[in-house]
Order: sequence, then structure tokens, then C-alpha cells
Amino acid sequence: MKYLSLIVRSLFRSRLRTVLTLLFITLSVFLVALMQGFLGTIDALTTSAASGSRLVVQDKASFTNVIPESYGNFLRAQPEVEAVTQFQWFGGEYKDPKNFFANFAVQKDTYLRVYREEAGLDSLPPEQVRDFLMDGNGCAVGKSLADKYGWKLGDVIPLRSPIFDMTVRLNVRAIFKGKRQSDEQALIFDLKQIQEAVPWMKGRVGSFVVRVKNGRDIPKLSERIDRNFANASPETLSMSENAFNLNMMKMFGDFGTMLHSITSAVLVAILIVTASTMAMMIRERSTQIAVMRALGFTTGRVMSLLLAEGLLLSLLGGLLGVGLAMAVAKVTAGLASAVLPWMADFYIQPDTLMLCLVCTLALGLLSTFIPAYQASRKPIVEALRAL
Amino acid sequence: MMTFFFILLAPYLAWLVWAAFRYPVPLSYNWRSLWQRWVGTLATMGAVAIVVMIFVVVRSMATGVQKTYVKSGRDDQVIVLRPNARVELMSVVMRDQARLISTHPLIARDEEGPLVTTDAVVTKQVPLADGTGSMSVSVRGTTPAGIRMREQVRLVAGRWFQPNLSEAVVPRRMVGKYVGLELGHTFEMASRRWTVVGIFDGDGSAFDSEIWIDANDLTQAFHRNNAFSSVLARMRRPENAPAFIAEMESDVRLKLEAKTEPRYFAEMGDAGKPMQILGQIITVILTVGAIFAAMNTMFSAIAGRTSEIGTLRALGYRRREILASFQWEAILLTLLGGALGCLGATFFNGMQTGATSMNTFSDVGYAFAVTPALVGQGLAFSVIMGILGGFIPAWKASRMVIVEAMRG
Repeated sequence: MKYLSLIVRSLFRSRLRTVLTLLFITLSVFLVALMQGFLGTIDALTTSAASGSRLVVQDKASFTNVIPESYGNFLRAQPEVEAVTQFQWFGGEYKDPKNFFANFAVQKDTYLRVYREEAGLDSLPPEQVRDFLMDGNGCAVGKSLADKYGWKLGDVIPLRSPIFDMTVRLNVRAIFKGKRQSDEQALIFDLKQIQEAVPWMKGRVGSFVVRVKNGRDIPKLSERIDRNFANASPETLSMSENAFNLNMMKMFGDFGTMLHSITSAVLVAILIVTASTMAMMIRERSTQIAVMRALGFTTGRVMSLLLAEGLLLSLLGGLLGVGLAMAVAKVTAGLASAVLPWMADFYIQPDTLMLCLVCTLALGLLSTFIPAYQASRKPIVEALRAL
Repeated sequence: MMTFFFILLAPYLAWLVWAAFRYPVPLSYNWRSLWQRWVGTLATMGAVAIVVMIFVVVRSMATGVQKTYVKSGRDDQVIVLRPNARVELMSVVMRDQARLISTHPLIARDEEGPLVTTDAVVTKQVPLADGTGSMSVSVRGTTPAGIRMREQVRLVAGRWFQPNLSEAVVPRRMVGKYVGLELGHTFEMASRRWTVVGIFDGDGSAFDSEIWIDANDLTQAFHRNNAFSSVLARMRRPENAPAFIAEMESDVRLKLEAKTEPRYFAEMGDAGKPMQILGQIITVILTVGAIFAAMNTMFSAIAGRTSEIGTLRALGYRRREILASFQWEAILLTLLGGALGCLGATFFNGMQTGATSMNTFSDVGYAFAVTPALVGQGLAFSVIMGILGGFIPAWKASRMVIVEAMRG
């Protein structure tokens, strides 16, 4: 501790250079934290606690195909099953194709049971639930979605779907609050609307979502369902909702590979820039270091002082970067959720935080080691001669 | 955004170019100075190289997707869909409608018959060979005319499918990536076993992401009765397209939507959009970082050369000559880094990757396309970094008081 002021002073000996290097590290760490946080958010999304107790049953050939409504009878008869709901992606556009948000048709009453956490049922006033269930044209809207378009209870929302080539006019009957922001980005309405208007949807659904009493039963239940429909046409493909979400995420592209490779490239950039700064800083002070050693500082002490300097620089940069990332993540979460609804939950996880700090510390040590080693071993006489 | 920066910096840049010819501080002086401080120079070059490389590679994804779709269409071919369907997957064209369209007098013929095909498109979940799950893949049911009309598609192994035999031909790109998609192997779809009898190469077009089977086989297997997805027709002359399109839309028996193939594909270029947006955000942040690194190196360069600058000034060099000289040094520094980055990016050129189209919900394969234009953009980008990173240090250098500077 008694050397702290010495370390800080030598670090800021050339203030401009240190500040610029610090800014570079801050920005790079900021970026790494954002990228890793983004991946972490995707990860968290595909493994949320509630979705661990749900199962998706779809057509084996493709999730864009439809399956008979009657398959639900078998699902409901299974002992592990708590509730079954029907689901169909509507892909409706509100006024303009650019207004993209999640909207889907469901069996209303069962949906509220299967997705009770996401639909925030405990916070939804009973009269809104009743209105939603009673009105055939009723829809329930997540709060942040309603806020975005300024919808209020009783408003009429026209949605045009290019998939079904139809327009529905829905009355807002319930506005629900979810546990997570991303749960509030959806609009749901009655599947009958589509089934009655589109001939090939009669008696058919896009998929079933099954809530099981115990998440552990999902593997064997999925297997039993698929075996039961093995000789039916169409066959089914059942998987946990987590696995389903993971598949959907994959559709956006191979984010994982891309972000991990950029992360490593950025880390290399931090390493070389910090290393060059430290090398310059130490080279300029070779006389000073020689004097210190002449005064009796051991090689080891000189070296640890120099290493501490590098560590302090990278740690400062790392902390600033992570802090900035956390602040920015908060702001972006709101903005980005307009394009990608699940981005509403974007935040920098503790794991990511630790990863960033450990990485910067390691980089600080690594980048200082060689110049510090050289400086602390250089013959004193030679260095002093330059005086 | 880059164009905006260039317009903003254009007068300054023009002055710099003029100064390089007009003023007598030679560039070779800057070149030597750069290498005198090679540690800092190399480090900054490296940082700039990484940023420019990421910039170029991210952009090459967008170019790659575009290239895929451009290769897929001919401007004398018109695709007919259900109104508002946007993509074949969402479209329905009934068999009798298709028959009506096929007899249209504007449609071209070759030795084997009229160049018109009625296709049906579905998607199928196919397990990945590496066992990490499955992807949604487009399956196209087409006809012999449909094969002839897509000239970029060439058979590279085996043969084309025969009707009624549940045979499939798969693109070379998918072989090895998915389970069962290999010559002679079979896979299951719609409760039938399909044999892969051929492998084709779509020359980087969107068809490289589709499994091809017989159109009637597809509609039967998927119980689509008489519902196909689209009709593709080649015009006798490209000028015929507007008239043909107008008729498709006005004929009361059809009431369908038609567009030329290039336009159809242009509207589909959305695959990989989220990746591109993300990539752009990353590049912006990194750029600011790289500018700091460049600034750092230039400040050190100037700090180490104060007496040199003083001497130059004492010899009669003017302030703006010093400014131009140091600004050029910074640009040289980042441009070298940029060139290095572009070189690194070219290694990605042609590398295959995939993303899912949000329109068709199926996997679209494309290759990173590092075009000369992109390399140019990367270099221009590094020049901007040099200007922004070098200006303040260069300005400071030019403002030094001679006597103090000479004292060192």
C-alpha cells in the first residue's frame, strides 16, 4: 500500500498517453461486455425457469406447417400434463409492414394457464380477464407494447397478416404486465378468428404448448407423444420450449461464432495497444528505474511495482468499460426491444462482468511483463550512463 | 455514414493532397519517423488493422447475401404469386390457374417446350450433421422446365429426379451439413422416404439453399391437393414483362400478383439483417477506440520530436507545413493498418455461412463477398481514422513556440 502513490504517480507521468490508453481500453472492454452480455441474454432466454416446464408439439416436417386440433385430446390425457394450449403465429402487421411485433392466435383460456407467469395473471384485474375471454374479437396486449403504440382498453387494432392474407380487427380487452420486459411485447387473440376465416386452418393449429406438472417429465413425455403420432399424418416433433427457443435463435444467424471471434480480436487489440504503451512508458523511465535499483530496490520489487502499474491501468479501463456497458445496456434494452422483443431483458450478467475483469487483469499483466522484465534486469551502470 | 464524413472532411483532405505536392516537408521524412518508433507504430497499425478487418468482414456479409439473390434472378422471367404473399412459401396458386397462365402467348419456348414452371415450396426441419439441433430448410417441388429455366443450377453428380419415385436432388452446399443429404442416402419427409439421386451446384444463388423434388410428388406428399406456390414464366423478350404482369393482375380468373424475378429476390434480401446491424454497432465503437490509439501514437511521436519540430520551424518551415506533415504521418500510419486489415479480410472471401431469412423462415446459404469496392471502403475508413486521430496532435505540433521546442 505504501507504494500506491508512487504507482499512481508514475502511471500518470505522461498524463495524455495514459488517458488515451485508458480510453482505448475502456471502449474495448465496453464492447466486449456488450457482446458477451448479448450472448448471455440469449442464453438466459432459452433457459428461463418457467419455460423449463413447457413443451412444444409441432409438425415434424416444419414448424410452418399446421397439425390437427384433435391431437390435443391425446396430450390432455397424459398424466404429467397440467394444461395444453393451441398456438398459431399470425405475423400480423399494424398499419405498416415496418410495425413488427409478436402477435399470435391462441386458445385463450388455456393460454392464460400455460403462460400464467408471462401473462402476469396475478397482476391482471379479474374484470379484464373476463372481458378478454368473453369477447370473441378481444385481444390481450403486453404493457410495453401498448405503451409503444398508445393503445388503451377498448381501442380497436387492425392487424393484416400476409401469411393468412386476412385482416383481423381486435378490441383491446386486457393489458398485462409480465415479470420480464420481453414478456410484455406480445399481442394475443383467439385462434377461432383464423380458423373461421381461412379454409385450410379449419380444425388445425400451428402447434401445441403443453405445461407439465414437473419439468423432469419433459424428455419421456416428448418421446411418448412423438411415438404415439409416429404413424399418423402428419407426425409430430416435441421438444422443450428451451430447445425450441434455441432453434429459433439460431435463425438469426450464428451470433455465437461471430461475437466470440470479434471478442478475441478485440482482446488482442487491447493487448498490443496496452503493451506498446507500457513499453514506451517503461523505456522512458529506464534511468529512473536504474536510480531506484541503485538506491537498493531489488529486481523483484522493481518488477512488481511496474506490473502493478500495468494492472492498475488495465483494471481502471476494465472497470470503466464494464460500468459504461451496464449503463448503456439499460438504455439499449428499451430501444432495441422495438426491433427484437426479447432484447428488453438485455443486461450484463455477473458472469460477463467477472469475465471482462479477469480478462483485463490478465491482459494488464501480460502486456507489462516483457518490458518490466527487461527494465528490471538491465545492468544498472548501463542505464545510468544514459543520464 | 462514411460518405457523410468524407463530404465533411473533403476540403481538409483536398488541402492535404495539395499540401503534399506543394509543401516541401517530404513524406519520406514521415515514413522514416514512423519506423523509428516501430513499437508504437506496429501496435497502432495492429489495432487499426483489427478494426478495419471487422468492418470489411461484417460488410461482406451484406454483399454476400445480395450477391446470392442477384445470381438467382433473370430479368426476362416473371414470378406469379398470390397477392401480398411476398414469398413463395406464403403463396398459393391453384392448378387450374397455373394451367391458364402456362398457355399465355408471351411465354418463351425452347426445343423441349414452353419455359414455364409451376413450383410448390415448403420448409422442412432437417437435423444438422454435427448433432447441434436442426435447421429449417426450403424444399422446392419443380418441373423439368423449372430446371432448364434456372441456368445457374448445374448437376454435379448423379441425375435429376424422376416423377412419382420420391427422389430428391440436393445442393452441394448442404452435403455433409445435414443428416442424410448425401448421394444415395435417404431421408424422411411427410411420411415418405426420399432418395437423394443427384447433387447440384447453384453457383452461389438462393437455390443452393433448397432441396429439389418433383412438384407433383411434393403436393401429394404434403396433401396440398392442387395448391402450388408459384408460377415462373420466361418472356419471349424482357420488354414483354410489364404487359404480362398487368394481365396476371387484371384477369378476373387469376387476380394474382406478378413481378420480375430480380425484383422478387431484391425484396427477400433480409437474411442476416440482425447480424449486420449488430456488426455495424460493433464497428462504430471499435472505430472510436482505434482513433484513440492513433492519437496516442501521434502524440508520442510528436513528444519525442519536439526539438526536430523546433529545428524545422527555425529553418523556415511554416506552421501549416508542419500540420500537413504530421497529419500525413497519421494517415500513413492508419492507412498501413487499414491495408493490413483488408488483407486479413480477404481470407474470409468466399467462406460459406448461413442465416435464416425472416421472410421464408428457412436457411439461406451465402458466402462472405469481399469485393474491391469493400476493400476501397475499408481503406477510406482507415484514412478517416487517421485524420480524426492525427489532427489534434498535428495541430499541437504546428503551434509549438520555436525557442521552447528547440530546447527540447
